Parts: sequence; C-alpha cells; structure tokens
Amino acid sequence: MKPLALLFTLSVGVLLLAASLDLPDWSDPASPASSHVSPYYIQESLNQTSVPNLVSSVLADYRSYDTMFETVVIFCAGITVLTILRRTFRSKDKYILPRPEREDADIILQSAVRLLVPVMQVFALYVIAHGHHSPGGGFQGGVILGASFILLSIAYDLKTVLKRFKENSILFLSAVGVLIYAGIGIICLFLGRNFLAYGAWAKLLGITEQEAHSHGMLGVEIGVAITVMVIMFSLYADLSSSGDLDEGL
Amino acid sequence: MLNIIIVILMLLGLFFFFGTSVGLIHFPDFYSRMHAAGKGDTLSTALILTGLALYHLQDFSLATLLVSLKIMSIVLYIFIASPTATHAIMDAGFESGVKHWSKADQPDKNKGEVK
Amino acid sequence: MNWDASSLWQFNVLLLIMLFILAIAAISIKDLVASAVIFGAYSFIMCLLWTAMLAVDVAFTEAAVGAGVSTVLVLGTALHIKRKSKD
Repeated sequence: MKPLALLFTLSVGVLLLAASLDLPDWSDPASPASSHVSPYYIQESLNQTSVPNLVSSVLADYRSYDTMFETVVIFCAGITVLTILRRTFRSKDKYILPRPEREDADIILQSAVRLLVPVMQVFALYVIAHGHHSPGGGFQGGVILGASFILLSIAYDLKTVLKRFKENSILFLSAVGVLIYAGIGIICLFLGRNFLAYGAWAKLLGITEQEAHSHGMLGVEIGVAITVMVIMFSLYADLSSSGDLDEGL
Repeated sequence: MLNIIIVILMLLGLFFFFGTSVGLIHFPDFYSRMHAAGKGDTLSTALILTGLALYHLQDFSLATLLVSLKIMSIVLYIFIASPTATHAIMDAGFESGVKHWSKADQPDKNKGEVK
Repeated sequence: MNWDASSLWQFNVLLLIMLFILAIAAISIKDLVASAVIFGAYSFIMCLLWTAMLAVDVAFTEAAVGAGVSTVLVLGTALHIKRKSKD
C-alpha cells in the first residue's frame, strides 16, 4: 500500500508543479486577481474608510459578512469541542497518568511568567486597537490574549487560572463576542442602512462617515478578539485535561 | 563610527550563534546541549537585535527612534523569556530522569576496550 | 526600505528547502510529540515565507495561530493519546 501512496503523492506533486508554471507572475498587475476588484479597493479604501491598512479594511468592512461567519465558525468549533470532551463526572479511566505532585512550585518559571503575561496582554490589546494602521487585528490579538492565559495555566496550574476565569464566563464571553459583531451590524439595519454598513453609525456618534467606518471596524474587531481569546483558552483547557478541567499539561 | 559599532555587534552575534550551533551538535548529552543553546542563543539574538536598533537610528527622527525602541523591547522580552524556556526544558528533563553524561560511563577509546 | 520579493531570492530558496525538510520530518517521525514540535517549526518557516512575500498580516496570523497556539493544542492532545505512531 505504501509504494502506491508514494506514487500517487508524487504524481499529484508533479501535476501541481506543472500547473504552477501557468500561474501569473509575482506581483503582476495584469493578472486576473489584481485586475478585477483590487484596483477599486486600493484607490478608494482610504477615502471611504479612513483606514490605511488595506487588509483590515477589506477584511472588516468590504468583506465584513464573511468575517462575521468566520467568527461564528470559531465559536461553533469551541462549542463542539466543549460538547464532545467536557465531562462533568469524575471518570477513572484516564488516558494519562496524573503529573507527579511537586512540593515546591517552580519559582523561576512562575515569576518570569508573572513578568511576561502583562506585557503579552498589553501587546495583544495594541494589536487589536492598532490593527487599522499596522498589521494585526481581532484574530491575531485574540489569539495572543488566549495564549497568555494558556501560558499562565502551563506555568501555574489549570485550576488556578480557572478559579479566576470561570467556565461560565468562558461560555458567556464566547457568545458575547459574536453578539457584539452581529449587534453592530443589526444597529446599522435599524438606522436604515444595510447589514454591517458602518456608515449608519455616523449620525449616532456625531462623526463623519469615514470615521464611522473606522470605528465600526474597531468594534467588530473587539468582538472577534473576545470570541477568539475565550475559545482558544477553552480549547486548551478541554484538550489538555481530557475534559476534566483538573490539570493541564 | 556608528557603522563600525553595528558591524562589531552583528559579527559578535553571528560568532555566538555559530558557537551555539557547534555546541548543540557537538556536546554529548541533553543538559550540556541545552546549556549551549540557552546561553548562546539569548546573547547572540540580543546582540544582533541591538545592532539592528542602532542601524535604524542612523538617520535620527521620531519614527526611527520608535522602531528602535520596539526592537529593544523585543530584546528585553527575549532576555527574560529565552532563559526561562531553557530552564523549563532542563527542569522537565531532570524530572523525567534524563541521565547526564559522565566520563566514567564512556568506553575508553585509547585502549579500544569497552568497560 | 525598498526591497521586493525577488531581491532576496537566495533567502527564499533556503527557506523553501528548510520547509521541505521540516515537512518530510514532521510526517515521517514516529514520536507524535516530536512531530508536533516540528510542525510548530514548519509553521514558523511558513510565517517567514509569508513575510518574504510581503503578506505581513498573514504572517502575523501564522505566527500567532500556527506556531503559537496550535502547537500547544496539538501537544496537549498528543500527550493524551498513544505517543508512538504506527507507521
């Protein structure tokens, strides 16, 4: 079976390599991908949204509907893992032996993590808030925030972190993030525009339409960040403790 | 003048990186390998990034100063994080009972006989 | 400040070779934990390649999600199942 699989893989690889010769050149302005709608975005996005980072404005404004359902996908993934893995009763058939208890906590690791985690979280907030002007945005910032909690629960204990960051609030916040995103869109509907047309916020906040686009993107990215942060931490907590939430890695 | 300092910093960083790589390949056991990786990696990364920060300061303005400060904060972060990671890996190895290398365990190569 | 993707093509070729080696290693190694760590290294090289293609947003996502969190998630899962792969 194995030589057959190798042959199949190699032939697919050769086919793909042969097909890659027909791809348009690197940064070719006449290629189909950069001649259809891209010039419109490149020329108009700064005027329409007052956001210098093109990627952010396309992701969170022009293609906002897609991004909303990406957030919903992450939400569904987190809920699915929770439903499959989470066990509320204590089970005896653990697949992994419990970690041997140590009398002394690792003080070097813990104090270094105590120094690093606030820096990580401030950087994550910077990434979220500064995503319009530099690379970054809700997904990256949310993942970094989630990673800071994961780091805490590796250095200390899963229980210690879950004492401050309850499972109920994990579930609550994961829905709140999606709600913020969809709510910003729904309010645009109530103000007489299309779903997620942030220009409608201009009258409500007393700013110009362009600034309203920018602020709407910020709100949307905060929603994305909350959902992603919470779901990443909940994925780690469920996967690393096989659903018991009693000990981490 | 500044260029010379930058070149010296970069070359020192590359030298320590080379030493790290040689140590990682050449040392006999887990602990001494991690010893080489942890120290050399941190120092060489810090040196190279300091050189980059100085390189950016060549035409001095607020923007380049900000970039240099960001690079220096990366240096600070690595200076804390990298030795801690090395310590954690060492500690995990010690907890799971990795044996350290000692000369007594080695077969004597000069006489060509195994103890 | 004006280098495009073609000005450092040797660097890109080096990264591609490393990517290839890491990809082969990640699927051929028997220990699942080691495979997870190598997969993290693969993600990091991929992140550098995205940066070389001047897609910095994608590179940032790859560094945060691919090299950071997903490595931890795969490690946490690999420790809970049988560590040795059969083939």
